[in-house]
Amino acid sequence: MPQTALAFDADLLRRYDRPGPRYTSYPTAPQFRADFGEADLRAAAAASNGDPIPRPLSLYVHVPFCHSPCFYCGCNRVITRDQARGDAYVTRLEREIALVAPLFDRDRRAVQLHFGGGTPNFLSAAQLAEVVGAIRGQFRFADAHDCDISIELDPRYCDPRDMPVLAAAGFNRASLGVQDFDPAVQRAVNRVQSVEETRAIVDACRAAGMRSVNIDLIYGLPGQSLEGFGRTLDIVTAIHPDRLAVYSYAHLPQLFKPQKQIDETLLLDGEAKLALLQLAVEKLTAAGYAYIGMDHFALPGDELAIAKSRGGLHRNFMGYTTHADSDLVGLGVSAISHVGNTFSQNPRDLPSWEAAIDAGHLPVFRGMRLDEDDELRADLIQSLMCQGEIRVKDLQDRYAIGFAEYFSQELARLQPLVEDGLVTMSPESIRATPRGQLLLRNIAMCFDRYLDQPVTDARPRFSRAI
Amino acid sequence: MSQVPFPRFNARAMADDGDELQFCSTCAFSHACLSQGMDKAALMDLHVLVEHIGPFHAGDRIFSEGDPFDAIAAVRAGTVKTCVSERDGHEHVLGFHFPGEVIGLNAIDGHRYPCDAVALDTVMLCRFSFPKMSMLAARVPGLQRELFRLLSRDIGRAALLSGDWTADQRVAAFLVGVSRRLAARGFSANRFQLTMARADIANYLRLAPETVSRVLRRMQDTGLLAVDRREVQLLDRAQIDALAAPVLRE
Repeated sequence: MPQTALAFDADLLRRYDRPGPRYTSYPTAPQFRADFGEADLRAAAAASNGDPIPRPLSLYVHVPFCHSPCFYCGCNRVITRDQARGDAYVTRLEREIALVAPLFDRDRRAVQLHFGGGTPNFLSAAQLAEVVGAIRGQFRFADAHDCDISIELDPRYCDPRDMPVLAAAGFNRASLGVQDFDPAVQRAVNRVQSVEETRAIVDACRAAGMRSVNIDLIYGLPGQSLEGFGRTLDIVTAIHPDRLAVYSYAHLPQLFKPQKQIDETLLLDGEAKLALLQLAVEKLTAAGYAYIGMDHFALPGDELAIAKSRGGLHRNFMGYTTHADSDLVGLGVSAISHVGNTFSQNPRDLPSWEAAIDAGHLPVFRGMRLDEDDELRADLIQSLMCQGEIRVKDLQDRYAIGFAEYFSQELARLQPLVEDGLVTMSPESIRATPRGQLLLRNIAMCFDRYLDQPVTDARPRFSRAI
Repeated sequence: MSQVPFPRFNARAMADDGDELQFCSTCAFSHACLSQGMDKAALMDLHVLVEHIGPFHAGDRIFSEGDPFDAIAAVRAGTVKTCVSERDGHEHVLGFHFPGEVIGLNAIDGHRYPCDAVALDTVMLCRFSFPKMSMLAARVPGLQRELFRLLSRDIGRAALLSGDWTADQRVAAFLVGVSRRLAARGFSANRFQLTMARADIANYLRLAPETVSRVLRRMQDTGLLAVDRREVQLLDRAQIDALAAPVLRE
């Protein structure tokens, strides 16, 4: 448990609070290349079908629309109130599903389907059910108890009466955005959301039989205070979601335009942010939540917490999961796929995605094929993010390398982190200490080959670590 | 250091280029000269016949059914699939050939190759002109014996799967066969990549692709082996051998 993470001093904090990727993938999206296209994705899918036991599939559907702009948002989204855009989007999603599904052998089961955004519930419950139906028609799903069908919900635009419709369509997990209940903060980020409407949706999800409810919070938002965020944490722990994510706000207005509307005078410094994180860790721990990794917590009986304690935790673009490595198929604008040893991404703007679908093409606009070094580092970072540990012998065996020679530079880079008590190193294992648990991305950054390379574009690409 | 899993580069098991007195370490015929103490003159004669060709890339045809037969070839690196296509276009996989193994032997009888040979990954070959080789074999008894040995092994292997075996027995026999052949070339016996697609394995074993996966998943669940993408690790060799024994006539 990360209580000892609270022992940070200001100097340590300053040194480790630097931009870094969140490692939902390695290599990270900025490394994707324009010369990776449709034919490469087809070849990767064919090769993945040729595995002796082809991996199961995880599906992601991106819904880009939002009714109103939250100023902190760094996601790919389109602000509109025009519901007709939802119809057109669903029609094209169904075409994309029909284009993509034949790439995969029919006996490959889907074990995970996630709707993210944007705001997935910009689409009506009937439209969401239609998309799930189209996917079920083209992919074979694992038995319901083995399959996560999840959706991110904005409670401000949900009707509790829609939850049974979603449950009937197969949704068994919901994730609700909250961020902070403090009214001053809600105004500063243009997201005013009551406790009552949030609780009504949580109750409706549970009444409809959904297995698990997650709530997202953000620390580091403009105008946040220990008192206000403390009240939010008390309310949220009383709602008692099965899972909780506490994300760090990344202020990158050059990269994420909506953030330009944030009053920078209200932003917190690194130490104030850390105090909020400390408070969250304390309150969630006291409320009985177990720390999963990065910014995630879960009740001890939740599958994620059980998987974490058994070493069965995995991580992909959708975050932590209990499902073993699967091939990931992204549908919709900007969605990323991870098939075999490739990454590929759909166009990030709606017109390009629409044009590709209308022309009957797989809408791939960039991607990359991982070489053996990429795969080794991806594997290493995955085990760091999920187990908090790198097992040297496992990697030596799997990749036929001498670990100490192969990673001599990286191990030297790790030395200051060892001296700061974030990592312990032995010939068998590199392990994050309790205080290192909250700085996993800093540890992972030591092994990221691409961070050494000059970035052609002067804009910052990654959020800060804390 | 343990032995390297195929097809990872292995300094000991991969082909060096050899010289006039030393064959490539993977050469199918190195056995002939090593065991028979072939004299220098014969060795040099044999070397003259050798032509290094490649690389071929995944999907490339090395030869096609009906092409005039003029050479056999030893695989130096990679995996070659041999197959025939029926009139309806349906493919029938005859076998897989690893480093050190020879393709084209089944053409010796006629004047044309009776099957296609396709590279499954990056393949390098040693090509031996067959007319010249036959002439040399008449002078060098070790070489002739080696040719006969390779021929009989090729025939024996093809007959294995004609029996009435269960899916589990077929898959086990396939794994044991691959393991032994790779181990004979200095690769790890119990950890290797299956460089051929599961559809090819299934076709070769006369099983449905789903069945191959189902059998492997069951073997994985019961701890006989572990599969990670193309890589297979045989964990309970005794049980797998026992399953394969009837097929392999042991």
